[in-house]
Amino acid sequence: MFKQFLENAEGNQGYLLSSLAIFLIFFILVGIFVLTMKKDEIQYLSELPLNDEDDERGS
Amino acid sequence: MTEKFYYDNKTVRNFAIATVVWGIVGMTVGLLVAFQLFKPAMNLGTQYTTFGRVRPLHTNAVIFAFVGNAIFMGVYYSLQRLLKARMFSDVLSKIHFWGWQLIIVATAITLPLGFTTSHEYAEMEWPIDIAITLIWVVFGINMFGTIFKRREKHMYVAIWFYIATFITVAVLHIVNSIELPISWFKSYYVYAGVQDALVQWWYGHNAVAFFLTTPYLGMMYYFLPKMANRPVYSYKLSILHFWSLIFIYIWAGPHHLLYTSLPAWVQSLSTVFSVMLIAPSWGGMINGLLTLRGAWDKVRQDPRLKFMVVGITAYGMATFEGPMLALKQINAIAHYTDWIVAHVHVGALGWNGFLTFAILYWIVPRIYNTTLYSVKLASFHFWIGTLGIIFYAVPLYFAGFTQGLMWKEFTPEGLLKYPNFLETLLQIIPMYMMRALGGTLYLTGVIVMTYNLVKTMAAGKLVADEAAEATPLPAVYVAQGSDKKWHRILERKPLLFLGLSLVVILIGGMVEMMPTFTVKSNIPTISSVKPYTPLELQGRDLYIREGCVNCHSQMIRPFRSETERYGEYSKAGEFVYDHPFLWGSKRTGPDLQREGGKYGNAWHYNHLFDPQAMSPGSIMPPYEWLIDQKLDTTTTRSKITAMRSLGVPYETGYEQMANAALEKQAESIALDLRQNNIKIKSDREIIAIVAYLQRLGTDIKAK
Repeated sequence: MFKQFLENAEGNQGYLLSSLAIFLIFFILVGIFVLTMKKDEIQYLSELPLNDEDDERGS
Repeated sequence: MTEKFYYDNKTVRNFAIATVVWGIVGMTVGLLVAFQLFKPAMNLGTQYTTFGRVRPLHTNAVIFAFVGNAIFMGVYYSLQRLLKARMFSDVLSKIHFWGWQLIIVATAITLPLGFTTSHEYAEMEWPIDIAITLIWVVFGINMFGTIFKRREKHMYVAIWFYIATFITVAVLHIVNSIELPISWFKSYYVYAGVQDALVQWWYGHNAVAFFLTTPYLGMMYYFLPKMANRPVYSYKLSILHFWSLIFIYIWAGPHHLLYTSLPAWVQSLSTVFSVMLIAPSWGGMINGLLTLRGAWDKVRQDPRLKFMVVGITAYGMATFEGPMLALKQINAIAHYTDWIVAHVHVGALGWNGFLTFAILYWIVPRIYNTTLYSVKLASFHFWIGTLGIIFYAVPLYFAGFTQGLMWKEFTPEGLLKYPNFLETLLQIIPMYMMRALGGTLYLTGVIVMTYNLVKTMAAGKLVADEAAEATPLPAVYVAQGSDKKWHRILERKPLLFLGLSLVVILIGGMVEMMPTFTVKSNIPTISSVKPYTPLELQGRDLYIREGCVNCHSQMIRPFRSETERYGEYSKAGEFVYDHPFLWGSKRTGPDLQREGGKYGNAWHYNHLFDPQAMSPGSIMPPYEWLIDQKLDTTTTRSKITAMRSLGVPYETGYEQMANAALEKQAESIALDLRQNNIKIKSDREIIAIVAYLQRLGTDIKAK
């Protein structure tokens, strides 16, 4: 199945490989950032929706 | 020092009502088209209500009216609260709300009248396209204005999804709407053939991504933690899956064009990225479902959470199925069949529909300062809705498999086992009936919800301006500790965030489109392919007006099962004068690309007048008005001129002779019909459409 991709991309593998490379670099950058985030800031951010008013109403 | 301010609930309420009203309209129209597919009489005998014209009305109503209003309801409610600020401008909120409703009304009037560009999910003609752009900008200004005057420094993940939605939909809509107007209600796309197809499906797929998915993920990240009263399972995962999702999604569009004349490397690229898309999509689903860990007891009692769970699960199923459908081997069977229709409805009914219902049940009691009128009715809605989805999807999956395999089946002698297309359709008619039942159940649930919400509203009173308090941000922000990290900076700087999102989504589109547009070898020209004659061009526009493309493809894939059935497979060079392309995406009827010369003029005349007389059991509606109505030839001149300016090689001055050539060709067809005992004047619309059908695919047809 994967052979088919490479055959189809004949002469245009450049597009395929550079696209994947761009994504990989981008993904690794975001990954590094995420892994270095501190626990307290994560907690602060994730609780943002819970900090507003009206939770007792409506249910 | 805290500041007192008020949340605007009135605009939220207005969008909520619009969501419900347009939801009922869109789904009712959907039910009508579902019935038309097994009972042709449901086309109601007028030209304004045939399947070809009403199906785009259904898709646009559900996407832009029902889901669109639901997005604005969710965004206006959550944005204010996450940023601790009232919406930027009440005037803009009003313009946004009423402008959007006007666009919907204009669409609902013009589509049945036959004013259509034929690009799927973007059928509206150019004046409406401009109005959409303006109102979308109003929405953007209102959103960013609110972000700028916020009292909470950091933007919660939901807001990133809203920002990505805003910028990407803007880019998609503008690029996909570049048209050359020839009158108030008619225009031609500047792109032709393969390029037009690429633009359309880059748009179409990303409308799914950035209109039906990202805003809903944003809403999931706000409303699900609120309903479960606990923070999202993993905030880190939300960052990772946000950036991966918007990066990868934009590449996947061409998987709608596998095995077509699109350059093969673009097809391969889209398949690779489609498969990769499973990861970020499931990142979102898992994050949603795991937010409920330890809160499953609540799911048992709270119908809103039930809607959420089934909705997110439907999202997970659809986003697993999508990449599978993007594999060439599976696509070969599924494409053009009801499998695709089932797939999108798992997404639309399950993911968009159920999340919308959960959010409506959450917001309405709150802004009316009361409790939901009946939890029992909401539970009933949940069950009948779920049953509706099952009754909708399962029969259509079955229909898709069955028909896809029947099209490909050969006898031991090497002949098509079902050479008559109609035979494969008649096989699945019972499935169409079951699907209509599923739709009826689903709509019944929505009507029950409407009653429940109206009763809730009547019991409470709208808190139009809801008081809140928060500390304003200091004029000069001093970053501390980890605040200096780049993503923290990004979360504080909305415009930078907007810019980066834009760059991320542009990369994929550029890599796929630029070479297809600029490198000549991607679309080899064929010297025998000539521009349409004036009569054929007029006929082609009638084909567009009647929405024939909704049921008939014009794209023969290079399979033996297709070349046996339809003739030579389609080549990229055949479509260079096609503004717009008319490849289609669903075969309710047979492909028409090699229709020219297959039957006589008289056959086409009789078939358009009464399809059942020529093909017993056919579900095509009759088109008698084509015989009564005179062809409007006043537009011929401007059409030829417009086409020439788009690069179609009509000689200079040809527009002045065009109508004479048109009349001559029409006369010869009328003469042929008279010889077959059909008395018809040569100035009727049917003559033009027959001329077009007889031209189809003949440029490179082996004699």
